[in-house]
Amino acid sequence: MKKFTTFSLIICLVLLSLSPLSAAGKKEAAPSDQVKLTFMGWGTDAEIDTYRTMIADFEKAYPNVKVEYIVVADNEFDTKLQSMIGAGSPPDVFYCMIDNFMKYTATGNLLNLSQFVNSNEIFERDNVWDQIIDLYRYDGTMLGKGDVYALPKDVSVFPIFYNVDLFKKAGVVPPTKENPWDWNDYLAAARKLTSGSGENKVYGSGAYSLESAVWSNGAEFIDQETLSTVLIDEPAFVEALQWMADLRLVHQVVPTIAESGSLNDYDRFKQGKLAMVGAGTWSLGDFWQNCDFTFDVMNWPVSPRTGKSEIWFGSAGLSVSSKTKHPQEAFNLAAYLAFYEDSQRTAYQKGQAIPMLKDMAYNEFATLDKDPAHKDVLFDVLMNHTRVASQSKTFTQDWFAEFNANVASVFDGSETARSFTQRMKPRLQALLDESIELSKEFSL
Amino acid sequence: MKRREGAAGLLFLAPTIIYFVVFFALPLLISVYASFTNWNILSPKRSVVGLRNYQKLLADPKFWIALKNTFYMLIPIPIYLILGLLFAYACHKKIPWERLFRVLYYLPYISSIVALTIIWKWLFNTEFGLVNYALSSLGFAKHDWLNDPMWTKRMIVIMISWKFIGIISIYYLAVLKSVPAVYYEAAKIDGASGTQQFFKITLPLITPTTFYLAVVGLIGSLQTFIEVQLFAPDGGREYGVATIVYYIWQKAFQSSQMGYACATAMLFGLFILILTLIQLSVSRWWVYEGE
Repeated sequence: MKKFTTFSLIICLVLLSLSPLSAAGKKEAAPSDQVKLTFMGWGTDAEIDTYRTMIADFEKAYPNVKVEYIVVADNEFDTKLQSMIGAGSPPDVFYCMIDNFMKYTATGNLLNLSQFVNSNEIFERDNVWDQIIDLYRYDGTMLGKGDVYALPKDVSVFPIFYNVDLFKKAGVVPPTKENPWDWNDYLAAARKLTSGSGENKVYGSGAYSLESAVWSNGAEFIDQETLSTVLIDEPAFVEALQWMADLRLVHQVVPTIAESGSLNDYDRFKQGKLAMVGAGTWSLGDFWQNCDFTFDVMNWPVSPRTGKSEIWFGSAGLSVSSKTKHPQEAFNLAAYLAFYEDSQRTAYQKGQAIPMLKDMAYNEFATLDKDPAHKDVLFDVLMNHTRVASQSKTFTQDWFAEFNANVASVFDGSETARSFTQRMKPRLQALLDESIELSKEFSL
Repeated sequence: MKRREGAAGLLFLAPTIIYFVVFFALPLLISVYASFTNWNILSPKRSVVGLRNYQKLLADPKFWIALKNTFYMLIPIPIYLILGLLFAYACHKKIPWERLFRVLYYLPYISSIVALTIIWKWLFNTEFGLVNYALSSLGFAKHDWLNDPMWTKRMIVIMISWKFIGIISIYYLAVLKSVPAVYYEAAKIDGASGTQQFFKITLPLITPTTFYLAVVGLIGSLQTFIEVQLFAPDGGREYGVATIVYYIWQKAFQSSQMGYACATAMLFGLFILILTLIQLSVSRWWVYEGE
């Protein structure tokens, strides 16, 4: 008998430990005569406060609507959202990262917002940059074309921030829009800016942006026509990757992998021990608070091979569930949260994002008496040098994650860019093929 | 009368039974079914694909790497069992500051894993970490704990061992206190030394607890996930840190293959069951169950 009890207990323990489904979400209460919407997002404490204020204002403007605001940690957000969708009770309005946008749209989870955008009472379509509205278009196969399925929650560009004081000390003249640097100029400057040793070591540059190096050099991760062939072993790609690695390995103007692991380039920059770092515009507030030096921004250098410069731009979308019972109200909420003037203003004043409303960006933000002095560079980068990352255009991102999880072996010098890309190509191709198959299998 | 008592009994059991059925038994059944489909959560398109998920799974090298890494996570079990017992024994023998030590041992167990991870990341920081500082001042080489999957795994083993020593020693302390004093008195009269008493009386009498802790530890260790996600969010270079549960999570929520993830969970569940049954059958050779 005792044996049997122990045995049953153990079986129960094993059973309890299984099932990825036990975390599915709860069903929401049905709305009565008043419209009740659920909105799910993530954010820092400051952002959450801003959103609470906005929601309260929205409820005042639309007295028949009540909003339940669900906050989830950003690293758990997607898991939770998928569980809720799986359980058949998604929130009415929710954040959608650009990388997941295609997956959610293709499987019919996002409401087509085109007609609402064209006849809306909340924002002026012409006052919003085309790039960020176009970002959330999908025509059934390609991102960036077709109907609108989300509104931008924010937009961020990823330029190079530099320490003006260190530049002056080393006698380095920063590039301008008219006279951009090429890679060689960047390296020469980084060399001049690198100095000292031990505690006083100052590095010229942080890790260079992989995407910028690759795209500016005229290379691609995958072909842009059909998004079906991995191209990482093409000479221009290999050259770009090796150039990046050599900044660290040969020229020693970038902290080693171990050093970056100990104190990342971003924090090193804030401490004044690194002169140029790639960072998003969401970092402005942090820089304002924690940098005791003057900083400014520049565009990524052009590749000597092509003479052009490209970088990705980031955004999270506000989407409306295709299952919502109140499409118009849900759209209103999304639009209100996206383009609400006060929140746009608070966001740039706190240094969380640049405004998405053109008039506010050009008039208020551009003349704000805070670093960087050259805010026009940010607009230039956004309008003329950005593109959507390739992995955002595929159904799953596994192929890109595989590359990133292993690329450190090039940066720490354990293999060359050539051998790495040749070794990785078949793996990435298999994962990309899988993504295409999944897309065919599950797209509506 | 009997019948009414039976009904009342069922009523009292109902909350637990309903909870079990709704949150465990049903999802489990759905998972079994889902493992034979191509379900991806997001899409309403779904069809039965037979054994395809299982075939694909067995052919995926990452599954085998993850399985190997999962076994690696069993290493903490003997470490925390032995150290936990030693600590409990020390407390039992009334060392000074016993209560303070008990609290200190228990602290890691109730601390948030995220907070612990942040502290451990700093301890094992390559340039500024205390561990490397200690190693280098003793003349050893510094290790790049966080960038090398092998070292990251070792660090996780150390962290899990440390985290569980406290709770394990509490279990042992409870059972040590329940060993009747008469055995020791009799042994003393027969002239048994302290060491002999420990190995001949204490150790055999606490084997049921050891067995329980080993079974629970095995099941828990095989499910190591959150540490991996926190220390190596992408699974580490060449998937060197990823465990099976991490693999399941990744397939379900990042690769949009819930059916496939369910198949992995089923296979792995079966696997845990077999291991546990082996443990159970071996237990009769070493677990003392009384006269």
